[in-house]
Amino acid sequence: MTTTISRAPTSPDPEEVELDTEITSIRAEIQNLQKHKRILTSSLLTTDPIQKLLRKQPQPPTTTNQTDPLATISPLVHAAGAHTSSNHHRIAFGATAFPFKDPSPTASAAPLLGVRIDVCARNGRFAKPYYILLQHERSRAGPGSGSTKMLKVHRHTVPGFISIAKLESVYLPRPGVLRDNGDGNGDGEGSSGEDEDAEPAKPWKKSGSSTRKQDLRGFVRELRRELVAWHMRVDAIDFLREKLGFVGEGGKALPFDVSPDRDTGIVSLAAVAVEARYVRVEWLDGRVGRFKLSNAGVVERAVVIGDEGRDKKVEDAITGGSGRVETVLDRLRVDVLSGSPGTPGTPEV
Amino acid sequence: MLYLLQWCANTLLTTAMARPKAVRAPTTASLPNNLRIPSSTPSLTKSLGKLSRQALLDLAFTWLDDRNIASFPPYLQADEEDSPDDDEALPYPAGETIEEVRQVYEDLQDRKGAKREVLERILEGDWRNGITLRQLAMADLRYMDDHPASLRWTALELSRIDTKQKKSSKPPPADWSGSVPRMQAATFVQGLQREISPLVKAHYHLAHSATLPLTFLRIFVVDSPYQSPRQAAEIFTDSSRVIYVAFPDSCPYVYTSIAASTGSKATPSPSSVATDTRTLQRLVRDSIPKALSRPQERFSLQATSLAAKNLPTLLALRGPGRSTKSNGAFSIFADAAIEGSPLDPRPSNTVAPGEHIQASHSSPVKGKENPNGSAAKRRSSTIDTSPVSPDSKKRRLAIHSRFGTLGSSLAPAPLDRLDIRLLDKPSSSDEHDDDDDDDDDDVDDSTSTLPAVSLTFSGSDVIGGIRSLAELGIVDPERMPSWMTGEEGVSVATVRLGQRLQKDI
Repeated sequence: MTTTISRAPTSPDPEEVELDTEITSIRAEIQNLQKHKRILTSSLLTTDPIQKLLRKQPQPPTTTNQTDPLATISPLVHAAGAHTSSNHHRIAFGATAFPFKDPSPTASAAPLLGVRIDVCARNGRFAKPYYILLQHERSRAGPGSGSTKMLKVHRHTVPGFISIAKLESVYLPRPGVLRDNGDGNGDGEGSSGEDEDAEPAKPWKKSGSSTRKQDLRGFVRELRRELVAWHMRVDAIDFLREKLGFVGEGGKALPFDVSPDRDTGIVSLAAVAVEARYVRVEWLDGRVGRFKLSNAGVVERAVVIGDEGRDKKVEDAITGGSGRVETVLDRLRVDVLSGSPGTPGTPEV
Repeated sequence: MLYLLQWCANTLLTTAMARPKAVRAPTTASLPNNLRIPSSTPSLTKSLGKLSRQALLDLAFTWLDDRNIASFPPYLQADEEDSPDDDEALPYPAGETIEEVRQVYEDLQDRKGAKREVLERILEGDWRNGITLRQLAMADLRYMDDHPASLRWTALELSRIDTKQKKSSKPPPADWSGSVPRMQAATFVQGLQREISPLVKAHYHLAHSATLPLTFLRIFVVDSPYQSPRQAAEIFTDSSRVIYVAFPDSCPYVYTSIAASTGSKATPSPSSVATDTRTLQRLVRDSIPKALSRPQERFSLQATSLAAKNLPTLLALRGPGRSTKSNGAFSIFADAAIEGSPLDPRPSNTVAPGEHIQASHSSPVKGKENPNGSAAKRRSSTIDTSPVSPDSKKRRLAIHSRFGTLGSSLAPAPLDRLDIRLLDKPSSSDEHDDDDDDDDDDVDDSTSTLPAVSLTFSGSDVIGGIRSLAELGIVDPERMPSWMTGEEGVSVATVRLGQRLQKDI
């Protein structure tokens, strides 16, 4: 209210504006409350006691009724129950499958196989689910078995730095495509194994036939692992930034001139790109470093360069100890590094 | 990236502003950053004049920044004493200190005024000795940030060339990362310089975009082997000699621009007539994958049949985000518009799709999605609840299932041009009744040669246009082929039986 009054003089008709803002704010509040109500109703419906109660109660009197009492009384309860159970699967297993029909008139009649991958982030929330839609493809090239159903990735929402093509060529190999990849367009997308003799060495391959079997479970497992590792890397970097005090209230980045961390003399720490594989660190005295994170959260390599060349001591500190990225700041404390409480920001040579 | 850039700029520089009187010998060095273009060059005024007043002011502040002041020293009174031949009639007196010069621009910032005022102050006042190539490059990139649709970009895919012999070595099963080359700015520019220096002389400028998750490389090419080319100063502002390469963050794509061949090529010297700028540009483009390659890790560039004017479009269709491989009907997955988080107790069919999009999903990286807030924009158009007849309601459902969230009124990925080549035999029913230029429908079926039907759609947003045609009932949303929904994310396609052919593009 007070804000509207203060803003009023700029407009031609202050009273009207005031009423307008009031109306919009009330509307927004109504919407919020309605949303809240819907969340509460559905939460209530999905709770275990209610579900049990509704399922048990009407049974004695409706023995004469042929239809499922629950369905007649409340389809809402039914839907809520189904939704909860699928949510439980999504939370517990992280990968769920569903059918999807491509609406295109020229698409094949068979529905696509959708796989949904849920990843939980550090703040207890779930990231936007990742989807892979697989197409059934009939292939006659299978050895002896005639036509077999093959899966092929049709569409996906996996970020670009995870190579679906590589994963597909290893876990969902298709006989025709492999040959194409090998000498056709020459890209091959990396590590697809085309040589027959190399195959038995690979654990994920079923040896014996010239074409490997498709392994959808392995495909989803590896993909999910990669996605989770990415989220963990991002979370770890966020954690370090929070520890250094670079993240303000509500997760927002602070304005430009953040005060450097007193213990370590670090003025900036950020992921190099979206992939968050490399982390760039800057110190107060102009030293610049970069370290690489592994999927397991271990610092694999580190380079620190100052005015007098590389700073091996700090590099060792970054990769040393357990190598965990979460504790990297403890290892970088100036007093730990120099053995005495030195002034932050002096380069150790 | 910027620091690296400055560092590499310093290392690549050889001589500071070689005077024409100095010995001219052909070298393979790059054009120096501080090669000055005379401020009196008319085309310089034109190319800087494209920028807005605020952009010019921002640039001046950047140039006067403590870190950059050594690279772009303004004209001070001390300089005036060195060159007494300067006449006193210049409209802008030279400042005494850099602080004073800064103050001038602060004052300009505070008061409103014409762009002209700032431009003249820069060219005739503080940088009257000339604008360096690097300053010009910075100005161009600033213009690009302000106008992301100013050039036409082609998306190319980087892919690794694997040698056959290496196949026997077991691939590390833990590495599923895409073929994103680890690019280090200085090394890359040096590699590029090594590749193209025998052929052309170039000036490089590398900077991260301020607004988009992109790294721009601006290459200016001249076909002269000399450090200070003797061509007229116009050549430095010739936009057809500039090639932009953009590297989107964390994805195996590269965007290149062949600048529009606007004929500002005034043929200043006979030597530049011999080699046309297109050849120079091709030379540069061919050497990009070579410069990115390393031993045991070679890259090649492949076409992805997408060219568009808008950089956000390219980022959405060939970028690091979710929508790269799921468009059209599948954009509901890219936006996660159908289902909520597993913690949402509400059954997903009772929640509006817009709510899912903006829902409480935690984004792993702030601004990972399209930085222009596409999700919020898309949302606005999906919800409108005016009472409608059941027929149009059905149509709207069909449209929603075909287009997903794509192509709605504020589409984040507008294609400005869509070229489709149809290989089907012309049948009795012609379902493409749009603004096309199909010419030969009356060819007899019996002829052995297939008639080539090419459709070209152009406009500010082609897919959005088709969507609104469908909303108006002109296009049947249920029967139209999937390329009309933008599902493939391409701008050029060859289509047979409604399916895009992967080869022969």
